[in-house]
Amino acid sequence: MDTCIEKIRELSADLLEKGEVTKVIGFANGTIPMATSPIAIKTKQDVDKLVFNSTCGLNLANYVSGEKGKIAVIAKGCDSRNIVTHIVENQIQREQIYIIGVPCTGMVDKHKIAALFEDEIIDFSEDGDTLMVSSLLNTQTLKKQDYLKDNCLYCTHKNPVLYDVLAKDPVEEQKFDNLFPDVDRIEALDEDAKWQHFENLTKNCIRCYACRNACPLCYCPTCFVDESGPQWVGKGQNKTDVNTFHFLRAFHCAGRCTDCGACVEACPMGINVRDFTRKLNKDSLELFGWEAGLDVTKRPPLDTYRPEDPDDFIK
Amino acid sequence: MDEKKIKITSFLCNWCSYGAADLAGVSRMQYPADIRVIRIPCTGRLSPKFILSALREGADAVWVSG
Amino acid sequence: MGNLLEHMGIERDRLHFSWISSAEATKFVDVVKEISDKVRALGSNKKFEKDYN
Repeated sequence: MDTCIEKIRELSADLLEKGEVTKVIGFANGTIPMATSPIAIKTKQDVDKLVFNSTCGLNLANYVSGEKGKIAVIAKGCDSRNIVTHIVENQIQREQIYIIGVPCTGMVDKHKIAALFEDEIIDFSEDGDTLMVSSLLNTQTLKKQDYLKDNCLYCTHKNPVLYDVLAKDPVEEQKFDNLFPDVDRIEALDEDAKWQHFENLTKNCIRCYACRNACPLCYCPTCFVDESGPQWVGKGQNKTDVNTFHFLRAFHCAGRCTDCGACVEACPMGINVRDFTRKLNKDSLELFGWEAGLDVTKRPPLDTYRPEDPDDFIK
Repeated sequence: MDEKKIKITSFLCNWCSYGAADLAGVSRMQYPADIRVIRIPCTGRLSPKFILSALREGADAVWVSG
Repeated sequence: MGNLLEHMGIERDRLHFSWISSAEATKFVDVVKEISDKVRALGSNKKFEKDYN
């Protein structure tokens, strides 16, 4: 994937030089190995700071809302879908944004790799499908395919759906008979086991709201957890409060979530927050035939009314 | 079984079910006393937060009726 | 919403939706009876209730 970074830098430098955009939003190397952080590049000299590799798991659509001028953004498949969602929800106008699309081959799961090592990882590099990861004690060469994030494994939109220019040739899209085996597994449990599953899932939650901050959908000026009159959710780590937060946050993403995995990427406790949102994605697809962020002209299912909408839950 | 006290938080639309409840009342119809009625101006006023809030505060079930 | 609650292990019969006109007092009574029976069968809600202690 390293090959496209030259192209990204070239395009960014060109845009900034011509003054077409005020800034380019992309990824820069983080302060530790296997981490990248979002960066806004404003001058042509800074474009060398841009990177793109298999650890760019955050979603840059998060940083485009509320912009006044024209900006450029580097977008993977899922980022572009979230930009579409932003446009549909009037967070940004299409003319304000120049999308440098990057067909994506998946991002690696840091937790899966970190689990292989006893000590801290000090170096990470990649070459095509192989990853070289080393700590002080040992070095391992891994196949990228085996360590992809769970959402990337079941990604069906690797290529950006909306873009002004592509940084490299489109990649082949995956096809699956069943997109939601993880949801099916939970659905097969009985009620108490399901409840136990989610209790276990959220028991480590420290309510840092990293998932909320990383999520491009969570742009409300005041989140429901921060409202104080009335206070809907307590602030502590009471398990009912934690479950209410995760439940309602997921519900707010119903029909909007693109399963980009930024919430899981951001979670410091390694909670698979997607267990909540995946169920809603599955329902959107099954009940409304809807996948979020594919078309700027279509309104999301919970925003529209059709006579054929399912209504068998109403007596 | 019937002795057990349960609480069903009911969000009733002012113009529909609340009217029906009123009519049931003036018609002296008998119905279980498990429901606790909250009148809302319209079912559209209801937010999912209300439902969760009710469950969190100890309601055994929630009924939304328009 | 019911679907997600059920996914989390909250019984489906704890959340009801209905559509009753203001003239349908009989339907109102029927629905109350039906819901009441279903919830009685489930018993009280322990899972999502906040424990303030």
